[in-house]
Amino acid sequence: MDTIWIKLLFSLLTIFIVLNYGLLLQGVVRKIGARVGRRYGIRWYQPWIDIIKNYAKRTKITHGIMYYIAPAFRLTGGIGLLLFMPVIYGTDMFSNFSFTGDLLLLLYFQFFGVLGMALGAAEGGHPYSAMGVSRGLAQVTAYELTLTLGIIAIAVQYQTLSITEIVAAQQGGIANWTIITNPLAGIALMLAFLAAMGRSPFDVVIAPQEIPIGPPTEFHSGLLGVLQLNRAIFPAAKLILFMNLLFGGATDWGTLIIKTFLIYMWSVFVGVAFPRFRVDQSIRWYLFIPLIIGVLAVLFMKF
Amino acid sequence: MVTPIYIIVALLGVAFALGFSGQKQIKAAGTLALGALAFSLFVSLEWLIGLYTETYKSTQIFTAGVNPPFSINLFMGTGEALFTTLINFIGLFGGLYLFNKLIKKGRSTFIALLMLIMGLNVVVMTRDMFNLFVFLEISSVATAGLIILNQNKKSLAAGFKYIIATGIIAGILLIGIIFMYRFTGSLNIDDIPTGNLLMIKGFGTAIFLILTSILLELKPFPANGWGLDVYQGTHAGISVFISAASGTALLYVLYKFIPLMSPSFAFALSLVGGLTFIASNLLGLKQTHPNRLLGYSSIGQIGLVVLVIGLAPYLGDKFEYIAIALLGTHVFAKAGLFWISGIIQKDNIRKWTILRKNKLLTILFGVFMLALLGFPPFPSFFGKWELITELAGNGFISWMVIILLGSFLEAVYLFRWLGYILKLEAAKKELQPISWNKYLPIIISAILLIASGFGMSYLHEHAKFINYIPLIVAAAFILIDRLPVFIKNTLAIASVGLWYYMMYPDLEEFRLIFATIFLVGGIITLLAGYAYKGKRQGFYPMALIMFAGLGGLIEAKTTLEFFFAWELMTIGSYFLIIRGKKSISHALSYMLFSLGGAYAILAAFGLATVNNTGISLDILANLNIYAPAIFILLAIGFMTKTASLGLHIWLPGAHAEAETDVSPMVSAILLKAGLFGLIVMMIKMGDQMIFGLSISYFLGWLGVFTAIIGNLMAALQEDAKRLLAYSSIGVLGYALFGLALMSHLGWLGATSIAITHFMFKTTLFLAIGGVVWRLKTKNMYQMGGLIKKMPFSFISVLISIIVLAGIPPLTGFAGKWLFFNAIMEKGWYLQGALISFAGVIAFLYCFRLIHSVFLGQLKDEHRNVKEAPFWILLPQYIILGVLIIFSAFPNSLLKPIGEFITPYLPNGALVWDGQMAYSLYGYWNGELIMYAVVGIFVAVLLWIIFWNRKIKKVKQFDIVYAAERPFLPETTHYAYNFFAHYKKAVGILAQPMISNFWEGVSEIGHSVSDKIRRIYNGSGQAYLIHIIGFIVIIFLFTFGGF
Repeated sequence: MDTIWIKLLFSLLTIFIVLNYGLLLQGVVRKIGARVGRRYGIRWYQPWIDIIKNYAKRTKITHGIMYYIAPAFRLTGGIGLLLFMPVIYGTDMFSNFSFTGDLLLLLYFQFFGVLGMALGAAEGGHPYSAMGVSRGLAQVTAYELTLTLGIIAIAVQYQTLSITEIVAAQQGGIANWTIITNPLAGIALMLAFLAAMGRSPFDVVIAPQEIPIGPPTEFHSGLLGVLQLNRAIFPAAKLILFMNLLFGGATDWGTLIIKTFLIYMWSVFVGVAFPRFRVDQSIRWYLFIPLIIGVLAVLFMKF
Repeated sequence: MVTPIYIIVALLGVAFALGFSGQKQIKAAGTLALGALAFSLFVSLEWLIGLYTETYKSTQIFTAGVNPPFSINLFMGTGEALFTTLINFIGLFGGLYLFNKLIKKGRSTFIALLMLIMGLNVVVMTRDMFNLFVFLEISSVATAGLIILNQNKKSLAAGFKYIIATGIIAGILLIGIIFMYRFTGSLNIDDIPTGNLLMIKGFGTAIFLILTSILLELKPFPANGWGLDVYQGTHAGISVFISAASGTALLYVLYKFIPLMSPSFAFALSLVGGLTFIASNLLGLKQTHPNRLLGYSSIGQIGLVVLVIGLAPYLGDKFEYIAIALLGTHVFAKAGLFWISGIIQKDNIRKWTILRKNKLLTILFGVFMLALLGFPPFPSFFGKWELITELAGNGFISWMVIILLGSFLEAVYLFRWLGYILKLEAAKKELQPISWNKYLPIIISAILLIASGFGMSYLHEHAKFINYIPLIVAAAFILIDRLPVFIKNTLAIASVGLWYYMMYPDLEEFRLIFATIFLVGGIITLLAGYAYKGKRQGFYPMALIMFAGLGGLIEAKTTLEFFFAWELMTIGSYFLIIRGKKSISHALSYMLFSLGGAYAILAAFGLATVNNTGISLDILANLNIYAPAIFILLAIGFMTKTASLGLHIWLPGAHAEAETDVSPMVSAILLKAGLFGLIVMMIKMGDQMIFGLSISYFLGWLGVFTAIIGNLMAALQEDAKRLLAYSSIGVLGYALFGLALMSHLGWLGATSIAITHFMFKTTLFLAIGGVVWRLKTKNMYQMGGLIKKMPFSFISVLISIIVLAGIPPLTGFAGKWLFFNAIMEKGWYLQGALISFAGVIAFLYCFRLIHSVFLGQLKDEHRNVKEAPFWILLPQYIILGVLIIFSAFPNSLLKPIGEFITPYLPNGALVWDGQMAYSLYGYWNGELIMYAVVGIFVAVLLWIIFWNRKIKKVKQFDIVYAAERPFLPETTHYAYNFFAHYKKAVGILAQPMISNFWEGVSEIGHSVSDKIRRIYNGSGQAYLIHIIGFIVIIFLFTFGGF
């Protein structure tokens, strides 16, 4: 019984750390983006302020039950993804609930929040929300194929679907990281990673200036606050996943922060360098070169 | 015991006597004529029964008190008794049917009728060839007299062509007989030496001429234009005599001459028969005149019997069984159809909608049609089964193909016709009142057809074990069709439930799983039937026939029982599907694909008997020849039901246009029959290799592409039910893929998908059906915002799509997880990636469905819409409850299935530790995941509720709308062409290439038919040239000219 409570405690701690790290990441990245564009940019702690502001709003409206509970779906998706994953390799406690399911659980559970959010956004009745969802789903199908191919290649390489075991196999130096030992799968995954992070050129889903800002258009106040929490946790969780799959995982929080920050920079660099794709363009792009690399990665493992 | 000579005496005597009657006593005269016919029927029937029960002995009769060749020599044996019975039956009831017409035309018509029947009786019984010639002539002249009964230009021309053609043919026959007498000094068939005598110069010519002329009388292709014109030109009641009576008699003559045939002539005979069967059914494709169409069918059926006679030496002791089954069906069914045609009196099959004003006649029409096509439980079903089995046993693959192809072509036009009758716009006029004497023959024919079906199955060594009770129960529902829905539905549920209860103790493994899907699933979907008001006529018999078929598949121990059940299921589901408002073309294509598949299965079962004893399903397990071919044929047959890519085009329309509770029946339940078939096949046969490649490898790829294309098409639909229909194709693609993996986990995945698909597709079709029920539209963009009006339907759809999409924590994830592990184990990585790609495409249509229907903007006209009826919701929530249990406790579902699979595929089974499942690669605990997800969700939700205590609900249009205001729900609801960008990107995959392919096939068939039928240009001279040409070709063929 005690272990459950300790587990819960450590889970909360994990959430807390990752949440703040995620917010920090947001602030820093926006700052970098602004500086690249020769603007001054926001203060690095602006994300915290935004959350507090949203929670402090007095006017609160709802469009219906799905709209109301959508943020709960969304944040559950983010937290779940985080907690079903071993965050710090080698520590029992920061592995949280990863004993309940393997890599496949994560692969499919990431859609839990997406779906709930999509439903809530759709109930809001705003056409931009539905448009954003429609674009997002279309794009997901394209990069998911590359992602799956990469994951299969890794699973075949290590003959396991357990993330803990995948990380374990990469211990002992950079030379053992998947990105080095299985570069094709690594490239495929890192290309899929770009769209998974939803940054430019794959940001048609929220597409500021176009369908402001897609699915969350109708959300505000405390509900938006919940979504903002998720926007800190969910990308961070994905970063940890990619770190675990390709870059040897992390045995302490410091390593985790350095590695994930660097991984994130990959999508940031691409984002500031390339303008937004139309959705059909991004799909075609994913169904060409990344797909070929993914197929090669799998064929390489097979033969 | 009445001597058969009295048949002639009575018919001839009355015919003479009628000459003395005046026009005033015409009714009495007509009645007397019918009396004579009844007497003849009695005599022949008495002989038939006597000979069958062996109380009588077959007998020779010599007229004039001297021995042959100086007397006429009649013989009465079992064959003669049977055939004269058939002929006299047609004579009596055909006369009764035409009674009023004949009375109007005067006594001479009765005389003609009596002479015709008398002539045919003698033709059957005589052993004397000259006698045969004389009586053939008598019946020809009498027929010609009857043909011109209508006395319009067409029938006069038809009568003239008939007399010319039969005259020429008779001339040839006479020459043959003269030659024969010259060489043998006898005219008696029994005196002629048998054996391969065709090669004796002169004598051979004699035999050839005799046989060819008999063959020509049977209207072989292409020398049969005159026959077709006769069918078209004359009254349908007369066509009955030509088709059912004369044809029967002449077939018997041909049978009598079998001992004289040389192998080369027998071969030519079967070739002509086969060609006639295929050609006349092909030509029927473009035909719209009902009587001419029936003529084509009639000629085709007789051609089939000719084919059988030609192959007689190879069919052994099954020959008579087959010939009688086929011929008996032809006689009763064709007579019935012609008689119905005589009542309808329309010159185009599109105008036959008037028939459906009369329910009884419509049912009878269906009975005759199904009988002709060899559906159970009619005699031709058993006949065709035996025929195919015997042909397979002899290695006659091409004959099998010819027979199945011809039957298929026949099905095309007959089912199209049935579709017109049932679905084309109703005729305005009512049907004229029908007198009893027209009803009676039709009803009796139908009864005899059904009775002879049971009789044939009783005579069959294996068919007698078929369980007819479910079919009889279903048929009993026809009798109570006038009762209200509530009673019938209760009875239907009770009967299906009772059957499941009785079956339950014998069920094990897959049979348990599928019996539960078929029958318990059936009960759950039947619950929705309570939502209907009124009588819902015609629904229950057909639904129960389908369930009888489905249950029969489970109970089947032999290939025959399996095929019997398979066909039943097909008929029942066809009639369910065609009930939909716009189902006419979809039902037809459903039926054609099903039939094509059924014929593939039939051929496979036939081939499986080769070098095997018995027909138990277990013979599939020890095939020593043709195994890959059987595997492929069976797989094709079963995949027409699972709607795998290439064989799927019937499904979307058929499922989408069906009624609310029919859609889940045909989509969620019926498709599983195909899976069940595949599982049975794979358990028995394992994998098969062809050219060194494993067939299941190919099936795996097929499953992958089916899943992708099915899901992609689903995402691009505007019609909600079509979307669900395509989704079924996709999901069944997964299941096929899982089976093709041929591994423990693959099968576990496939089986769990079969079960969950049954559940979520039932709820989805019912929920969407409920929406359509209220909104009267299936287009999603016309819906929107219905969550507020139909919240229970919304929840049902929500849970179902989460399961469908395979998102944890619900049970759909189990399927995804199992597949991934199975793929890893098997090494099918590319296929695996594509199958999971298909899974992601499923998100597209899942969201589109729930968004466009339930979310977004509510339309003004739907502001007063009510929630779906309770009885439609109830089955959904029963299923949802089970789904949630399976989700939280996956081992309650997966562990038993795994145990069923282990005996066949032991390697790689899951290891269970409580709810924790371990595979070789990964692990997963459904229960803990459920707790974790629910725990997090509740915590977050409480947090939201805490922060938003004073939240205010706003109106529909209170949205942030970029400096404008929303104008109309219609323009604000983003739903039409929802995935336009996706279509732009990958729409090339969604091109209707396969539909185009099948349309091309159909187009080619119809064009060829249209071209060939132009040889029948209506000119008598051309027809004579056909006849002469035919003789020359057969001559060259028989005597080795080619």
